[in-house]
Amino acid sequence: MADDSLFEFLHMEIVSHVYKEHESRGDNDKERGTCVSLLELMGFRVGQGLIERFTKDTPSFKDELDVMKFVCKDFWTNIFRKQIDNLRTNHQGTYVLQDNRFTLLTPLSSGKQYLEEAPKYLAFSCGLLRGALSNLGLESVVTAEVSLMPACKFQVVVQKI
Amino acid sequence: MTVHNLYIFDRNGTCLHYGEWNRKKQAGISKDEEFKLMYGMSFSIRSFVSKMSPLDMKDGFMTFQTSRYKLHYYETPTGLKIIMNTDLGVPNSRDILHQIYSTLYVEYIVKNPLCALGDTLQSELFNSRLDSFVRALPFFSARAA
Repeated sequence: MADDSLFEFLHMEIVSHVYKEHESRGDNDKERGTCVSLLELMGFRVGQGLIERFTKDTPSFKDELDVMKFVCKDFWTNIFRKQIDNLRTNHQGTYVLQDNRFTLLTPLSSGKQYLEEAPKYLAFSCGLLRGALSNLGLESVVTAEVSLMPACKFQVVVQKI
Repeated sequence: MTVHNLYIFDRNGTCLHYGEWNRKKQAGISKDEEFKLMYGMSFSIRSFVSKMSPLDMKDGFMTFQTSRYKLHYYETPTGLKIIMNTDLGVPNSRDILHQIYSTLYVEYIVKNPLCALGDTLQSELFNSRLDSFVRALPFFSARAA
């Protein structure tokens, strides 16, 4: 990634554009849900492409945990210039990835200000995770939560087919 | 040695931020009028300085001082003006104002999607970082000399 700012500014604009589009069409409560899923779908496609690129030289993964570790270390470092700080799992398909200083949230606040707006800026990254995992063979559902900025937790539940 | 107060204006003259650390005497006019006066005056001084300069101008208007305080001025290419009043012991602090711009304003306001450019600065993060930055300056002490 050449310059982080390019992605950060573009991401800011994408989020505000998606929300403005929906406002001008006049939806009320539905708009929040659809905006978030739109952003997530965008992230999904981007994640799929990115993971192909990042894994083209790595050997195949031994198991699910290996995949998650790769995502936490190399994938996250390539995109956000830092690793996931904490990975927890119940060894039954649920993983919690904790990032204590999520790059897209650091300029917003360090505490409680702007907390309600934070999910908008996490949707794209949830999709990113889901797309990356999907292309590595793991269908999953990814959600994110923030209680204290800029730390956030991504919860990944792998779907067993 | 101390910092008295700090103003940040945008290109249109809107006062985006005002911080006060050690001000003993108020101006006697409302805050709005004070901001307008400060902006108007620095605008005029800046153009005066460039017009009347007997040599080619390098940096333009940088500071002025009276027998009690010194006013430091820094303007970015994008039109943002940072004005800081300190006491007399402080040397030219153009770099410090530049640092405020690059490490604080750009990082916490420009990169914050919830702060629209041109609005007064609401971000608490920015306020607290600016406050700690000023307090950490080598020439800041809580009591004026």
